Amino acid sequence: MSASPETTGTIYDIGYRHYDGPRLGRRGAIGAIVGAGLRAVFGLGRSGRAKILPWGAVILAALPAGVSVAIRVLAGDIVELYGYENYLWGIGALLPIFVAAQGPELVVNDMRHNVLPLYFSRPISRVDYVGARLAALALGLLSLTLAPLLILFGGRVLAAEDVVAAIGDEVGALPAIAGSGVIHAVVLASVGLAISSLAGRRAYAAGAVLAVFLIGGAVSATFGELGGALEALAPFANPLAILDGTREWLFGGAVADSPVTGAGVPLPLYALATLVLLGLSWAVLAVRYRSVTT
Amino acid sequence: MPLISTRALTKRYPGGILALDGLSLEIGEGVIGLVGANGAGKSTLLKILLGLIPASEGSATVLDLDTASQGPAIRELVGYMPEHDCLPPDVSATEFVSHMARVSGVPAGAARERTADVLRHVGLYEERYRPIGGYSTGMKQRVKLAQAIVHDPRILFLDEPTNGLDPAGRDEMLALIERIGRDFGMTAIVASHLLGEIERVADWLVAIDAGRLLRTAALSSFTERTGQLLVETEEPGELLAARLADRGMEARADGRHVLIEMASAVEGDHAVYDAVRDDAVALGLTLLRIEHRRHQLEDLFRGGGTDERVA
Repeated sequence: MSASPETTGTIYDIGYRHYDGPRLGRRGAIGAIVGAGLRAVFGLGRSGRAKILPWGAVILAALPAGVSVAIRVLAGDIVELYGYENYLWGIGALLPIFVAAQGPELVVNDMRHNVLPLYFSRPISRVDYVGARLAALALGLLSLTLAPLLILFGGRVLAAEDVVAAIGDEVGALPAIAGSGVIHAVVLASVGLAISSLAGRRAYAAGAVLAVFLIGGAVSATFGELGGALEALAPFANPLAILDGTREWLFGGAVADSPVTGAGVPLPLYALATLVLLGLSWAVLAVRYRSVTT
Repeated sequence: MPLISTRALTKRYPGGILALDGLSLEIGEGVIGLVGANGAGKSTLLKILLGLIPASEGSATVLDLDTASQGPAIRELVGYMPEHDCLPPDVSATEFVSHMARVSGVPAGAARERTADVLRHVGLYEERYRPIGGYSTGMKQRVKLAQAIVHDPRILFLDEPTNGLDPAGRDEMLALIERIGRDFGMTAIVASHLLGEIERVADWLVAIDAGRLLRTAALSSFTERTGQLLVETEEPGELLAARLADRGMEARADGRHVLIEMASAVEGDHAVYDAVRDDAVALGLTLLRIEHRRHQLEDLFRGGGTDERVA
């Protein structure tokens, strides 16, 4: 009442506008969660620090393929190109690091800060939410498990004298490249998210993921050195070895320094172990997210 | 046709707790106050209406959609503001609200536009680009409200929207809710245990107690000739109180405030308002505020109805 007109700013109120445009429903919602998840996985729209780890891992994973292809294309036959079958085992250490750094990013804060009720009050189900988060991490992982092999593929084709003939020679490897890349990505994403979903903070989640792979790798290596019956068990302590065994069973090509080679276990057992790993991870996720009250 | 209707809705939680007990009601358009003490079943009712939890018995429809089988379709057209904290601290309000718009099914471009609009409507300006973690409680409540209306829902469910706010923050939130109901054309169901707040914004009240419907009626039938009228003037209130007392009303001055017992007005509410206006003009007073003050929820339902409350 006492405020003088001169000191009062003018408020331009254009009023509330209704939304009459399209509503994309469940499909649009899932797409949005996957898209936002992918941005989070690669640290897009976040600080530079958040980009270091994911992009560092992507670059390191592609480096051996990229460098050897470049040398081969520029300088000819001085180096032997990597084989498709041992590449993923070779960059294996990067995969758990990527999962440990980026998986918690996707699930821990939504759980910790009670954001889930806001998701669940939208046109999606709990399964949709978890599936979309999984898809985001798995798609992100493809940049490590698939992209370098595609670089290698491109290099082999381009370095050949007869490119057309080389495409014919190499194209047979594509199912193996795509298959093992996707299996690695899906299984590692599932394991990583399951572990992350149990942790209260991102740092704990990252630590837990790393611990599982580190301990698994160490146990596996110890068993391998002890030899005998334990050597046969060695690959099953390490998720990456289980995946390598599955890859070998499906697409062939033994990796010299993988515990799978020394274990001498029938290869289908690795596929079974992969399914168990996947089932266990999804069961953990199902139980964890069912318990969230809205 | 009612927007929301429930038939003999019962919810029994594991452990035998009966949250809703044969609740049947119909809700039309407007700002609806859903009042009841803590534990009366308000939140349970909202969650069943959103299709988030199943009812043990009975059925409910929202916008003619069945809550048991068409939850996702319902949730596309309603907005929900939960009672508790639910915001991630490390993203900005703009980022978060526009993400939530997209999760409601709004395409990216429209989501950005609507986020800017809605954040302005709830009163968040420059701060909307800063991480939510640094916001005050009042600002966080605004973000919670913004994410509930960003997809332009037909119905809005607000669960204790003034929780944790100071008096000024409460007033602002209530003003916002009133505006949403009046200017935005949304039907808002406001669950609260504070009748005094609800009555300031609601035009229809649904009172539940122990999971049962206590009463549902237009707000005017609840509030007429009950409670107190608070009149604030720039000048001391003694003269006004004295004049009103001469008219046979129970009025007392308290500094620049005058409190009038509504029940003491023999000719009804309007007579009180008219008297305040006429006397203020006669005395040359500057009226700052006239506010209808409500007693607690328990008072309202004591004696079974408002008609018998007239002293």
